[in-house]
Amino acid sequence: MEPRVRHFVRNSEKAFADRQLQVALSRTTAKFLENRAAAVAEFPRFEGARESASRIRQEALDNLDAHLARFITEARKRGAVVHAARDGPEAREIAARIAKEEGVSLAVKSKSMIAEEVGLNGALEADGVEVVETDLGEYIIQLAGEPPSHIIAPAIHKTREDVSRLFEEKLGEPYTEEIPALTRIARRRLRDKFFSAQMGISGANFLCADTGSVVLVTNEGNGRMVATLPRVHMVIAGIDKVIPRLADLPVLLSLLPRSATGQALSSYVSVLTGTKRAGDAEGPERLHIILLDNGRTGILQGKYREILKCIRCGACINVCPVFQSVGGHAYGWVYPGPVGSVLAPLILGLPESSPLPNASTLCGACGEVCPVKIPIPGMLVELRGDEREQGLKTPAEVLGMKAYASVMSRAGILEAFQRVAGVVSALLFKERKIERLPFAFSGWTERRDFPAPAPQPFRKLWKRQRGIRPWTR
Amino acid sequence: MAQKRGISVSLFSTCLADTFFPSVCFATVAVLERFGVDVRVPLSQTCCGQPAFNSGNRKEARRMAAKFLSVFQGEEHIVTPSGSCAAMVKHEYPVLFRDEPRMLSLAYHVAGRVFELSQFLVDVLGVDDPGSTYRGKVTYHDSCHLKRGLGVADAPRTLLKAIRGVEFVEMEESDRCCGFGGVFSVKYPHISCRMADRKIERILETGAQVVTSGDIGCLMNIGGTISRSGYPVRAVHIAEILAGSEGAVP
Amino acid sequence: MRQTAELLDRVRAALRGRTVAEPGLPYVAPREPGAPGSAQGRIDLFRRKFEALGGTFLAGPAAESVIPALGELLRAEGVTALFFPEEDPASRSLADALVPFGPFLLVSPADIRQAEPPVSAGIQSAEFAIAESGTIVQTSRGGTSLWPGLASDVHVCLLSPDRFLDGMEDCLEALSGDPPRSISLITGPSRTADIELTLTMGVHGPRRVIAVLPSS
Ligand code: SF4
Repeated sequence: MEPRVRHFVRNSEKAFADRQLQVALSRTTAKFLENRAAAVAEFPRFEGARESASRIRQEALDNLDAHLARFITEARKRGAVVHAARDGPEAREIAARIAKEEGVSLAVKSKSMIAEEVGLNGALEADGVEVVETDLGEYIIQLAGEPPSHIIAPAIHKTREDVSRLFEEKLGEPYTEEIPALTRIARRRLRDKFFSAQMGISGANFLCADTGSVVLVTNEGNGRMVATLPRVHMVIAGIDKVIPRLADLPVLLSLLPRSATGQALSSYVSVLTGTKRAGDAEGPERLHIILLDNGRTGILQGKYREILKCIRCGACINVCPVFQSVGGHAYGWVYPGPVGSVLAPLILGLPESSPLPNASTLCGACGEVCPVKIPIPGMLVELRGDEREQGLKTPAEVLGMKAYASVMSRAGILEAFQRVAGVVSALLFKERKIERLPFAFSGWTERRDFPAPAPQPFRKLWKRQRGIRPWTR
Repeated sequence: MAQKRGISVSLFSTCLADTFFPSVCFATVAVLERFGVDVRVPLSQTCCGQPAFNSGNRKEARRMAAKFLSVFQGEEHIVTPSGSCAAMVKHEYPVLFRDEPRMLSLAYHVAGRVFELSQFLVDVLGVDDPGSTYRGKVTYHDSCHLKRGLGVADAPRTLLKAIRGVEFVEMEESDRCCGFGGVFSVKYPHISCRMADRKIERILETGAQVVTSGDIGCLMNIGGTISRSGYPVRAVHIAEILAGSEGAVP
Repeated sequence: MRQTAELLDRVRAALRGRTVAEPGLPYVAPREPGAPGSAQGRIDLFRRKFEALGGTFLAGPAAESVIPALGELLRAEGVTALFFPEEDPASRSLADALVPFGPFLLVSPADIRQAEPPVSAGIQSAEFAIAESGTIVQTSRGGTSLWPGLASDVHVCLLSPDRFLDGMEDCLEALSGDPPRSISLITGPSRTADIELTLTMGVHGPRRVIAVLPSS
């Protein structure tokens, strides 16, 4: 997906105008949050599990060299071909080569954020490979040619009528407003693809270092079909997906679905280890695992390492009041919401992503729900600091901040300002409110009043009332 | 009423309250003095540096923080009517000075002495009845930094419910951000206003006459939206409700 | 090979100067108090969790109660074809016993492998059942096929009392070392809420899961 992060403001204004998107969004996030809250309430171990999960993920990253090496060795031992891609273009190239070498003309794909991150479908399609999304939501938006609006519910901006018209137009299916009937159409259509595809493509929710296993979590069951039916299975995963041990899985899985959809456990968890073995009834004969760096080693090195702990549950996204207002499309990249606002600058570069770290009130809701305790708000502030250090802030902001610091550096200067403001305010704003602020502040007062400065500031009044005593300094 | 003689408090008035809402500062003093606390006001204080810190302007934030620490370093209790300013000193000063060991230890020292008003009343003074009267149906908005930053959610409710004449009603999503976010409200006013709209909706649903909170920023945002659209509800700082002195400057 | 070596070099370089300890033991959150412990306790908990997910749990004497009840359920679901993995004698005999409650046709997995297959029930013995989450575990061990749970409309899992485990930890422990190629943890039916958040069952896999625990 071509990043359009820079257009955040324009995108979000467009989102506001889209009434249908707004309604769908608020219903989706509310539903996920409600389910999450219920799931957490029913799980007394939640806080303990969170602590464990956070430590497991931290340990995995702190020793990623050892764990990744182990994963590669174990996976190869069991028949996998392991590739490494430095960035998106390299990943696309590797994927296209695999498809060509394996003689693939049709591939079925299970939902993968990382494939979106590198634009995998496009690379394969350019080589004449048909790639069919099999997650129902992804299938819908693929037919519509649109980007996902939510990482867990990608087609949530579509109503049943939209979906039906889409199926009618693209698939020639009769119009129906029954959701189960629409689901059955997709089932029937995709079944055929599952059976005839030469290759299945999936991401990975986790990679277990000690066994070389790939873990896939889905509700629909498409992940396991993609990984079982075609002759070739191609996995593309970020290097951050590695966890030290298969035994770490229960704790992580106790949090992922609860945080994502509020389920105690997703319907299907597949732990896939190597290729089809002698005596196996089914399974891919070839397993390719593409390990993607794409900026992750750089993140690993610096002060943002913890963002790589992310297990992509989407809880921070659902809970984010900014996301709830603007929706996924506004972010213009594969990872929206708070996690995306940290990842985008780190992967796409700060200059390209500059609106995102700033587009947060720092309300802290994301940090509070994150199942692996990533301090997201702190990271957003840190990124804003980097912006200043790299000279990416507007001259107006820097100047404003310098002026602010000068005024605030001495109580006497502040008082002088307050005195002037008080006089002006008394003259102009009889009702103690300002209806129009100038310059960069004008947006504030478009739909809100700003308070007028008091005729006399508190400290002045206090001094007059109580007199200056020695300890008042 | 429990009198806590011998406790002295230094008022951290905050630049916003000082400049725009002196009545909030006076109300804070009045409530504290009602419980026998000796209140002082360091006159050389200005701003804690939050606007600079939150917008990533660390240099200026550090300058402000150093000033704040030098003004307040000797104080026993530092009390402020603003949750986000308290959280700034408590949680962010150590971040700002992480590479300066001497300042860091000073930051921690002061951080341990900063309290938001309701927190101080309930947790330090042990107040459960503010001893005041206020007429009206009141709902409470949890400031993000007060609730999630400082973990203070029960104290203000305990106090509000104990006020004679107050009919307390909870709003839905009381801890959902109102959309202020300091510099955010200037940089992204369109998003900020939408968040404020949703907050106002929740407030209006309760039928309350007054919405209160422990944060000047939230009240500026909520109050400003109310005043522009003329909604039938007032935004009043919790200190003024506790003092029973809305808007009064002695 | 060169690419992966380079990747590992980059990771190593990124971690240079780290101060963390060497890899430790897995961090496992403490178990919930009151975990079952007894065999019957596990079965009861499994049943509760499994039913809460919309699963149907049938236990009792095979001939008198389980098989007739199952036959009725399958008929109600419109099932006309039964299939089972070749190498699983227990599921074969269950399928045979079901035929008189039909009309059910015994078909081979290949018959299901078509675009418009008959409404089918896939029958198979489960490797484990996890009480804590109501999860059924199927693995590829011993040449077991995943088919019955993968592509059927109704999935019938044959359980035996000694296969019930407390938690996922126990299951992975039993399978660790050299895990089978595929471990499938199945918790409830195939589901989606991708259209208007409306929960719909049976999108790719079974729309209904039935666990059968016959007593001999
Ligand atoms: S940052 Fe945390 S809450 Fe957000 S998606 Fe990642 S794991 Fe989930």
